[in-house]
Order: sequence, then structure tokens, then C-alpha cells
Amino acid sequence: MGIRFEHVSYTYDARSPMRQTALQDVNIRLAEGALTGIAGSSGSGKSTLLQLLNGILLPTEGTVKVLDLRLSAGEKPPKLAPLRRRVGLVFQFPEQQLFARTLEEDLSFGPLNFGASPEEAAHSARKALAAMGLGESLLRRHPLQLSGGQRRKAAIASVLAMGPDILVLDEPGATLDQVSRSELIQLLHRLCREEGKTVIIVTHRIDELLPYADRWVIMHEGRAAFQGTVRELVDTAGKLPDYGLAVPEPIRWWRELEAAYGLQAEEPCLSPAALAERIAQLVQTDARKEQAYA
Amino acid sequence: MREKLLIGRLIDTGSPVHALDPRAKLTAMLLYAAMVVGARSWPALVVLTAFSFIVMASTRIPLRTYLKAAKPLRVLMLFILIVQCLAVKGGRVLVAAGSWHVDSAGLEAGAYAVARMVLLVSFTALLTFTTSPGQLNQGVEGMLRPFTRIGISPERLALMTGIALRFIPAILDEAQTIMKAQASRGADLKELPWKEKARMLTALLVPVTVGAFRRAEDLTASMESRGYRLGAPRTQYRPLIWSYRDTGFVAVFVLICLIVVWIGWI
Repeated sequence: MGIRFEHVSYTYDARSPMRQTALQDVNIRLAEGALTGIAGSSGSGKSTLLQLLNGILLPTEGTVKVLDLRLSAGEKPPKLAPLRRRVGLVFQFPEQQLFARTLEEDLSFGPLNFGASPEEAAHSARKALAAMGLGESLLRRHPLQLSGGQRRKAAIASVLAMGPDILVLDEPGATLDQVSRSELIQLLHRLCREEGKTVIIVTHRIDELLPYADRWVIMHEGRAAFQGTVRELVDTAGKLPDYGLAVPEPIRWWRELEAAYGLQAEEPCLSPAALAERIAQLVQTDARKEQAYA
Repeated sequence: MREKLLIGRLIDTGSPVHALDPRAKLTAMLLYAAMVVGARSWPALVVLTAFSFIVMASTRIPLRTYLKAAKPLRVLMLFILIVQCLAVKGGRVLVAAGSWHVDSAGLEAGAYAVARMVLLVSFTALLTFTTSPGQLNQGVEGMLRPFTRIGISPERLALMTGIALRFIPAILDEAQTIMKAQASRGADLKELPWKEKARMLTALLVPVTVGAFRRAEDLTASMESRGYRLGAPRTQYRPLIWSYRDTGFVAVFVLICLIVVWIGWI
């Protein structure tokens, strides 16, 4: 089933003189059980795209199909609660989205709304908190007593606690330190690989997500300028500056390496460790060849 | 939420009204408020309505946008209508139930009060629809300049008004963010019963208030770190220039004000 955007447009304040078109005729397919990265310059429509995924926004034109639900412009939407139970959305600036009196209450809010018993909700809250690397001592605190980074992690945990099939995150790593960002991406990657969850991440740090993402979507001026596999992204990376994005360094390094050694048929190595290992192999092969010729 | 609350937002259509001096528009709004109070009969209200439509049309902003600005007050308007209908007696009895009855005079008084309120709220939205917050600040400061002698600081008042106007959409955005997060976690206000709706809205109060204070603190720190001091001598990036168009605009309002008050008296 997956996720499909068919000729989707979205205009904010559509019926007022301040109308602003955020998406125009977007056609995207996002595979189930895959980790997809979405990138694009500011104002390219990334956040709007994500909010269409669980019916927070409804398309002003076209159709969004998520799992077995269909949201079409001009049609009365179906009951959205089942969709929201299965699609967990972490908004941009998630630290501003905590509202309950204690962190425990905030983390249990989603599971309770979707029919979990208080015990189940408390268990999910603790599990999600641990997954985000936060201690249980924080559960009794008011969310506003947490530090900025803790609040961001807690907000992500509040969505993880619902155990959604599809996890959608809008720049989850912004304002987190590098170690926390890396741990978060690894956690999401694990949820995708081991539990079969579909993970969709909007990011400005393409380089950090490159080693983990299966597919990429590049947004530009409200349209999907690119969608494809990592290999296809590497092959068309030269166009990224046209979409207001810099070519990520791992891609630049890999392209230099593949040009030098003719590695175009290989899966690109885009993490520093994988790249270093591949370079070491190539150097060893060269050394062996030199010895053989000598 | 922002789509519903239009007051405080600039809609730039490049009309001649947009180009007017903000002091002229502020003066015109004060005169308009006087006209609404002074319109004491239906003919006076008809003249005022016709004049309002002409001025609103000249801004090139659709009339329905002005009406939308009055929409958030519809419950208050309905309340006023009901109170007037029940309190004012006289004329024909329209509806009667036991000792209660609604008379034609009551309905007329209610309709009249609501019409005046719609006119006042929708027309005065013209000020923020056609003036940027910065210009409005300058206008308020200019208008209050004569009060410096009696110890009122126009700069302080203008700054307060300007920041308050700028904060309306920002605070609404913050509330909307939380409501979206609640909806996303299974508590959509649109789908909840009234009791739950009230509970969810109360839950918004603390984070939104704290958010507003946080913004205010950040703004103060940012302004101070860029050398802003109240009362320090400052030049203006775009000084206000009063032209004959501004005089003409205010003159038209004075004229209509006199006509409306005159019709009200005869």
C-alpha cells in the first residue's frame, strides 16, 4: 500500500487574499518499511508535505493515499483517528509541543487517546523514554522544567510511545548535539530494519542521513524535484545546487573516488567509516598490483 | 486559526489607501468611531454604510475579507441582539410566549446595534490591513507626540502597540502548533465533545503563556544587544511625510462625519 501523493497541491489561507501555495502538483511514492529522507531549501514545502501524511492538513487539490486511507481534495475526509494512530508525526520545534502537567502525562497522552489502558500507556511511556536515552526521574517533572535538548527528545518519545507504523519526523535533529543526532538516526534506522516501520525524515543535514536512507525526495519550490534511490541521488547530485542545496561532502568524495577507480556500478559508500574501508581496500589492491608487476 | 483571525495582518494590494500616511489613517479611524457613535438613525447608518463600502473597495481588498474580520465577534453580536430584543419594548408584538414577548422596537434596536458593531469592527480592520506594523508604530508615535509635555512617552506606547500587534500572529501560531500536536496524538478539537474541547483548550494556556513570555524575553535581549534604549535619540529609516492626499483623506472623513451627525439630529 505505502504512501502516494497524486497531483497534490496545498495552499495556505486558500480563501483569503493572503493565500500562499506551498505544494504544487506533487506526485510521490514512498515505500512501506523503508527509511526515506526528504530534503530541500527553506520554504520548499517539506513541512507541509509531512502534515498531509496524517490529515493535519488536507490537500487543496489531488489525493493523498496513506496505507488504506484516502484523503482527496473536496471530499469529506474519513475519520482521522485511525490514520493518526498509525502515522506518528513529530513536528518541527517539537520542544514547543509538550503541554501536559508532567512528562509522564504527556507521554501517555497519545496511547490513552488510542485506547491503551493506563498501565499499557505508562509502560509505553517508559519504553519510549528509555529509547530516547532519558532517565525515568524526569517523568514527574513539568515539561517546561526540562532543558531544550531533553524537551526535544521527550517530544520525539511522545510519538514513539504510540507505536505508530509510520514515523514522520520534521528535522528531529535540529538543536541536538552531534552524538544525540547520531543516536537518534541509529534508533530510527533500527526501528525501520528490525520492526519494519516506515520512517520518513525531513533533514537539512543530508550527509548525516545518507548512510541510512533507502530513498530520497528533494523538494524545490513546492514540487518534488527528485525522488529515487541513494544511487540515483549520487548520480544526479550535480543538480542539487539548482535546488538550493549544496552537494553533500560524502557524495562529493564518493564521486571523486568512483571517477578515479571506475566504481560507477558499485553501491556508494557514504559514511566516513565505509568510505575509509573502501579506500583502504583500493589502496591495498593497488599495492598488490604494483608488487605483482615488480 | 490565523486564517480566521484577520485583524493585525497586512494585506498588501498597493492601493492608494496603502500609500497614505499612517497618521491620516489613524485620525480617520478615530473620526469613524465618532461617526458610528453619532449615527443615531437608520438613514445616518445607511450613509455611513455606503461610505464605508466605497472606502473599503478603494483598498482593493475583497469586501468579504472585511466581513471575516468581524466574524470572531459573532457570538457577542448574537448576545447583543437577544438582549436588545428582550429588553426594548414597543411597537408590534412579533413573538409572544407567556409573559415574554419580542417587540418590533426591540428587534430594530438589536439589528441597529449589531449593524453598528459590524461596521465598526470590519471597517477599522482597514487600518491594519493597509498599514504595516512598522508604519503603524510610527503613526502612533507621531499622533502621541503632543502628549510628551504631560509626561507620556510616545515611543514607549508605540513600541508596546507595535509589539502587541506583531505578537498576535506569533502567539496564535504557537497555540496552533500545540493543537496540531494534540490532534496528531489522537485529540482533534474538531472531533471532541464540548467538555473535552474545553479541557484541551485549558491545557493550551500554560505553554502558550510561557511561550509568549519566552518570546518577549528573547525580543528584549535581542533589541538591547543591538543597542536599543528607550528615549535614546533615534533617526527614522523612512520618515513619515504628510501630503495633500492625506489631508484630502481626513477631510472626506470630517465631511462625512458632519453629514452623519447632522442626519442623526434631524
